[in-house]
Amino acid sequence: MHTDARTLENGSVIQGDLCIVGAGAAGISIAREWANSPLSVVLLEGGGFDLEPAMQDLYRGEIVGQPYFPLEAARLHFFGGTTGHWAGYCSTYDPIDFETRPWVPHSGWPIRREELDPFYARAQPILDLGPYEYDAEYWVKRDKELEPFPLDRNKVWPKMWQFSPPTRFGTKYRDAIVNARSVHLYTHANVCEVEANEAQSAVDGLRVRMFDGKEHRVKARCYVLACCSMQNARLLLASNRRATAGIGNAHDLVGRYFMEHLEIPSGELVLAKPQSTKTKMYEIDYGVTKARAELALTAQVQKEHGILNGTASLERGVLGEQVQSTFQFLPPELLKATMAWEKGGKVGPSPLSISLPPAATAVQQAAPRVFHLMTRQEQAPNPNSRVTLSTEKDAMGMPRVKFDWQLTELDKRSIRTYYKLLGQEMGRTGLGRVQLRDWLLSDDRTWPSFISGGWHHMGTTRMHADPKQGVVDANCRVHGIGNLYVAGAAVYPTAGAANPTLTLVALSLRLSDYLRTKLT
Amino acid sequence: MTLDRRRFLQLAATGMVAGLTTSACAQDTSEHARELNKPALLEMLGPERTREIGTQYRAAMPSENTAAALRDAISTSRHRQFPWILHKSIEEQVRDDFAAGRTVVVSGWILSETEARQCALYSLSV
Repeated sequence: MHTDARTLENGSVIQGDLCIVGAGAAGISIAREWANSPLSVVLLEGGGFDLEPAMQDLYRGEIVGQPYFPLEAARLHFFGGTTGHWAGYCSTYDPIDFETRPWVPHSGWPIRREELDPFYARAQPILDLGPYEYDAEYWVKRDKELEPFPLDRNKVWPKMWQFSPPTRFGTKYRDAIVNARSVHLYTHANVCEVEANEAQSAVDGLRVRMFDGKEHRVKARCYVLACCSMQNARLLLASNRRATAGIGNAHDLVGRYFMEHLEIPSGELVLAKPQSTKTKMYEIDYGVTKARAELALTAQVQKEHGILNGTASLERGVLGEQVQSTFQFLPPELLKATMAWEKGGKVGPSPLSISLPPAATAVQQAAPRVFHLMTRQEQAPNPNSRVTLSTEKDAMGMPRVKFDWQLTELDKRSIRTYYKLLGQEMGRTGLGRVQLRDWLLSDDRTWPSFISGGWHHMGTTRMHADPKQGVVDANCRVHGIGNLYVAGAAVYPTAGAANPTLTLVALSLRLSDYLRTKLT
Repeated sequence: MTLDRRRFLQLAATGMVAGLTTSACAQDTSEHARELNKPALLEMLGPERTREIGTQYRAAMPSENTAAALRDAISTSRHRQFPWILHKSIEEQVRDDFAAGRTVVVSGWILSETEARQCALYSLSV
């Protein structure tokens, strides 16, 4: 069922067994699981089925740390959430991502990778991915053209990725959600407060507000916040009527440890023998390629050198040309144009293909010699990288996000070390040579103006067994609050080397299973 | 001429190694002189970038700013590596450098010490 919350009378009370706040990848993944449940699910979405400038403006915020992408363009505030413009890159997190690594402060998940495996397998079809296979050999057997570089596997390994079409949750799952017997979707239902009980041990209800000032209350047995890292933190911090520091923030952790993936051009690879070196394994023909590899350092090498987990992807190019970071490559206007093109039935060339740099379209030779090396690396967990509340308020009267993205020396040293080790291995095997980009040759504290993430917002309500070190426990329940949970990448204690979507869907399914045991 | 380690030790025991070493080195010098001036990077990066790398290397290493000093450094490095009597091509020496972590960063390029010196030699020759 679907109701536009604006059509309800002021002061309406919405009730259900489970309330999910946010209809993005996490919220919809959970809601789908309850479609035929005997219990009732309330799914609240702040936006509607289409993007609305006024809704997007609620996501605008103050940026005070490292330069960042406009916040109102980085995430989408409508049904389907940011899957409305994601690129579909999926891979699993590595076992080392879950471990406590002495050289990475604040690392370690309270769960192991193996615990996520069954949920990864369930997440694959939701994202329209292939089989749950991320072993290079599996893909090599199916395509003789795929050939990993003959590098020492004890040092460098091919980390496999799969590509979602990409699945637009707002389109693909709209009917399933609207027609689900047990799920009631409310659009234009912006939650402006999580109301704690007097003892601050449970959530009593939620306050939902409209632009015209109307308010409704939502009452449920359990609540799941699934409205992305920044908005989850904002909502918890702004819910400070009873808990003055915000809900779940007894230890000043809500909003901290914000993490991104560092996506930035970092080097060049020049092949020694391009005619005899197969590169298809590492290349992507967007929309066609089902799986490809990126170059990753093994857990042992990371440990030996005390560095973070990350990969390099290969992009054909020419030496000396300017290469753009992710944020540079996809400015907000282009993102918007691409969404409009998709919505209009993909008539004509995509705005993205028109804007591609000459190297990406023109360099189609059979045996390319030069590849740009693009970093994708986890950011070290950092309590000073954080989301707080701005003094400025949005049109709903909520304090806006104040965003202070901070990086550490470990982040930069890890990227440089990665490329030095990759360069040594390329040289040792005679495959080619690696060049570091200029920005990596300076000290470890300075970052280039084109520093970029991948619009991957993680952390802010990190998972830890100890309430003094994490906002949620291993079951994603907010410490100290009996019926409040967080879904999505907001709970990640570390960012991993892979994009977050597959893992956040897997974690959401895991949370859904857990809630079923709690509520039935 | 190639020689494995066991054979080398046998010869050493019979006192024949000194002569062999001299012979190998002489051959080494003549065979590799041309190789030295033609780094593999030429094909990968082209003459301009190779020359630039060489120039930068010499600027960073003033003690190796002559052809003789560079050849000497390459040769010294070559014979420092065990088994030093083996006939190694420059390509092998370069790979050995990478394997042993004997690398330098010049103009951002991660290079073996040997090939960086080759670039320097090249930059002096053009």
